[in-house]
Amino acid sequence: MTTITLPKTLTFAVALALTGCAKSYLVLLEDHDGSTGKVIFSGAGSETVVEQAGYGAALDNSKTVFKVEQEKINKDFGRALASEPVLPEIFLLYFETGGTKLTAESAALIPKIIETAGKHPAADISVIGHTDTVGDAGKNEKLANERAVQVSKLFDASKMDVKEVAVTSHGEKNLLIKTGDETSEPRNRRVEVTIR
Amino acid sequence: MKHLFACWSLGLALCIPGAVSADDAVIGYIKTITDQTTIGDSNGPIKASLGSPIHVGNVIKTDENGAAGVTLKDNTILSIGPNTEFKIEAYQFEPQQDKLQLNASLLKGTLHYISGVIAKLKPEAVTVKTPTGVIAVRGTRFLVKIEE
Repeated sequence: MTTITLPKTLTFAVALALTGCAKSYLVLLEDHDGSTGKVIFSGAGSETVVEQAGYGAALDNSKTVFKVEQEKINKDFGRALASEPVLPEIFLLYFETGGTKLTAESAALIPKIIETAGKHPAADISVIGHTDTVGDAGKNEKLANERAVQVSKLFDASKMDVKEVAVTSHGEKNLLIKTGDETSEPRNRRVEVTIR
Repeated sequence: MKHLFACWSLGLALCIPGAVSADDAVIGYIKTITDQTTIGDSNGPIKASLGSPIHVGNVIKTDENGAAGVTLKDNTILSIGPNTEFKIEAYQFEPQQDKLQLNASLLKGTLHYISGVIAKLKPEAVTVKTPTGVIAVRGTRFLVKIEE
């Protein structure tokens, strides 16, 4: 038995050495929005940069960058890729001035938001309230919180698979549209809902 | 009455370790899962299921049939394949205080990573450690395989 196994192992080792086939490696992919960033691997004293989607780098000091065939990606990463969670979705809801009444357009968006939450298994939702700069900062902190609390009530954990609804108020400190103080700006009177 | 006091002080005593630990906050949840996957901390591994919370210091481990996906609070997405061991070393997501950090380690197996808000706001705050070095990201999606 050993006389057969040994040469096989040796041949395999030689083949690996000849092709320079990286055992541990990374592959850069195109983002879901179509953009491509870059990854930098820093090993012992060397740095390898990959900037092209579909290219990989060995996780050693060889600094080799190589094209990775789709077949190899599927073979090595099929399960990890298939386990990707549903991408988070973000909604903005806008309010009438000075209170917690949604604009008509935003109120019409509610069914879509609830439907989306239902499509995210074990959803965790963050609800962040904002105001414009009309009125004093302390009152706006409170108003933004009231807006967020009201929106958070849409997600009933007894009726849907929701793990957590986190409510935060940013008051008038996180303006979507930069304005001076005491400026009425409809786009700043908002609640941001992220469904993960 | 005496009994009531005893219960109350016991409750307090139980609360204190939780209150002082900075690692208590939930930083994400298991969103996809198949077969045997565990989440481990200093108390040892427990079986993970859909919706299991993830904390800093957790090691997510899959067996030869396992796979799992996690979404973190900043919308970073991590999914792992079989025979994988992945650890969240550090995590901070408080953009208002400029506290942003994500350090993870892939000890073995396969990882699929998609950048979240932390990588967008502060790219240098994100690293994935491997047995032979460190991966830094500049707003992107990538795969890593560690062969032992």
